Amino acid sequence: MRRREFGAGATAALLAATGCGAPEDAGVDDGGVDDSAVEGRGSRPGSPIVLTLLSHYASEPLKSALQSAVDAWNATHRRVKVRTTAVKFTDLLTTYMVRQAAGQGADILHPYCLWTGQLVQAGVLRPAPPEAVRRIRRDFSPAAVTASSVHGTVYGYPTEVQTYALFYNRRLLRAAGYSGPPRTWRELEEAAYRTARRDRHGNTLVQGFGLSRFDDSTVVGQTLALLAARGGSLLTPDGRWTAIDSAAGRDVFDLERRLIDRGASDTGSTLPKAFPSGQVAMAISAGWWTAVLRGLMGRAYRDVGVAPVPGLAAGDRGTLATGFLLGVNSRCRHPEAAWEFLRWLNAVPVPARARGGDNGRGRDGDRGGDSGRQVSVTRMSALQVSVGSMTGRADDMRALLGPGSGSDPNLGPFLDALRYADPEPNGPRAQRVKSLLRKNIETVWTGRRSVDEALRLATRQLNQELGR
Amino acid sequence: MARCGRAGRGTARRGTAPRSAASSGTATAGRGPARAAQRRQTVIAYLFLTPTLLFFAVFLALPLLFAVLLAQSRWAGFNLADIEPVGLDNFTDLFAQGSTFLTPILTNTLLYAIGTVVIALSGSVVIANCINNLRFQGVWRTLYFLPIVTTVVAVGNVWKYMYEPGGLVNGALNALGLPSVAFLQDPDTALPSVVAVQAWASVGTAILILTAGLKSIPETYYEAAELDGADQFTIFWRITLPLLRPSLLFVCITQFITGLQSFALINVMTGDGGPGDATNVAALEIYQQAFTYGDWGVAGAAAFVLFLVIALITMAQLWLFRRKGEDA
Repeated sequence: MRRREFGAGATAALLAATGCGAPEDAGVDDGGVDDSAVEGRGSRPGSPIVLTLLSHYASEPLKSALQSAVDAWNATHRRVKVRTTAVKFTDLLTTYMVRQAAGQGADILHPYCLWTGQLVQAGVLRPAPPEAVRRIRRDFSPAAVTASSVHGTVYGYPTEVQTYALFYNRRLLRAAGYSGPPRTWRELEEAAYRTARRDRHGNTLVQGFGLSRFDDSTVVGQTLALLAARGGSLLTPDGRWTAIDSAAGRDVFDLERRLIDRGASDTGSTLPKAFPSGQVAMAISAGWWTAVLRGLMGRAYRDVGVAPVPGLAAGDRGTLATGFLLGVNSRCRHPEAAWEFLRWLNAVPVPARARGGDNGRGRDGDRGGDSGRQVSVTRMSALQVSVGSMTGRADDMRALLGPGSGSDPNLGPFLDALRYADPEPNGPRAQRVKSLLRKNIETVWTGRRSVDEALRLATRQLNQELGR
Repeated sequence: MARCGRAGRGTARRGTAPRSAASSGTATAGRGPARAAQRRQTVIAYLFLTPTLLFFAVFLALPLLFAVLLAQSRWAGFNLADIEPVGLDNFTDLFAQGSTFLTPILTNTLLYAIGTVVIALSGSVVIANCINNLRFQGVWRTLYFLPIVTTVVAVGNVWKYMYEPGGLVNGALNALGLPSVAFLQDPDTALPSVVAVQAWASVGTAILILTAGLKSIPETYYEAAELDGADQFTIFWRITLPLLRPSLLFVCITQFITGLQSFALINVMTGDGGPGDATNVAALEIYQQAFTYGDWGVAGAAAFVLFLVIALITMAQLWLFRRKGEDA
């Protein structure tokens, strides 16, 4: 019920924020799309073109948010219709590859930027047209543009930027005697040990620091965020070799191993379930998790706080930035129409209310009504903020999440992190590199290999992949 | 179809010979129509064979040849024009220092198959023997066959929840005063945990085949053994087991091949073969390389290695059973 209300709230907020159905869009044709271009090739004259969009927005509130935007397009455009399909994020890359191999790839793709190199090498993504490239380079942050590019060629609109930060449970930290989140690794470790609890059978009741084994992104994301906060990086500046076997890499692996050995972390526990249940004191995750937690936890979300990932010393800043792009399939039969839809969604500013991130609720959870400043942002920016996420359009984000916006204060650290976060590498073998790194991290977590052995093996395997 | 073709040719030969002997003077004149008839019958035979040959060509020969080509190429899987020959590089990569393919992936594959076969075979022999001595045999067989008709996703997920730290299995252990076991999270217990589920899921087929094998053993052997005063264990060891050998051979070979090729259960229960590579097997690695990383060359090379392993093990099994006097 709570999730349903939340989904409805998200949809309502999005519609309000983006001004869907507003007079300026009413009766609009397919702005800029030449009818001769959209007719003829495969579609019968008079029948609308149907573009398919495949994303990972399969669960709420993302699903409703995207569908609302697509419904708004479909309601105001007669000649080009868009149909959305979605799969779980963990199945997304495989679905793209399998469907493309079967000749059934979607017209519009929404891949993780990590996969850009692989999809470009495989000839799946179509380069963005010059006009779109100009807009993307002008309006989006350099990190977002880099993530959507391969060898300087832009392949789509950067729709979503995720940075990693420390989520903490205020109630659990308070019960252990802490008034605020840890600012250094030493404080983090101490708080993790003091908040952790187990029953007499050894079953975990509360994890001090949650290490998630959910998928590649969670395992590697939290480790690379700690690595960046420690001043390290996964790859050398030229991207040809890995730099994981460094003092920073060793410190991160050692820290994670210690947390497990001393009972503060239980990798057997499912973090996405345990944290909302109040069984985890601290965990590192990306900004999108705020919306999920808000939906799952209801009033208990008040206990959730977000802080920058701690570094060795207080004030050390570093984290990981990842993202998604919206691009067009190289086999799309109506690329002009597809790019026009993406322009409408990602590049056309429309009036919106700056109250995103809490779906119309104020800081204390009360209804915000029509309060909030009137701002001009893209539909995608409003959509992302309404689900607790961000786009790489810094101006939009400042307008929607800045002071006085009434947005979820937990989004602040993620917005701040855009300034100092390291983008995730997106070479042709990036997903394979990430999978190999994950397996090596897990061998350290499970005690299969020592930290030194894992670092050596990871270096050998990653360098072999990077050299392919 | 093949028999029809051979019969046709045979009839043609038999038909030609007497005619040649009867009239050597008209041999030249008679050989022409006879050859024409033979050719026509051969053509007809091949026409009958065409659907089967086409099926094998499309679904066996062509994929096999394509796999050979892919194993020596680099290809992302979409455009045939992008196939880039790389010789034996993919095989070199598979067995390069630091590669996980030989250890632990291939080792896991063998352990997974051996573990599954040993548990399923020994369990099914015992259960089939028990069922053979019970009433309502059909009901028992159906019960044990149920996991086979259940989708592997359902089986995997149910067992995954049962293995979880707060799941049914750990609950039972805790009730007995034993500590919890991180079945799927501990690399030492993850593979055996999945093997147990695979064996449980495949025991039904083995029971079905073995009960049929048990029923084919003539009762007279048992009567003679009882008259000679043999006890139940001796009867089982000296009569049942040797006469069950054809069924055992079939179950052993098919279960082993299934074990070497399967990955769906692992995919459901541990995702990508974790923790680390503790439950990663060759078929899962092939799937990941092709459909996730878009590296069809490495996937093709790995598939070829797996094919060789399966062929070698199957030949070894056949040789072993033949040495014991069983003709497959």
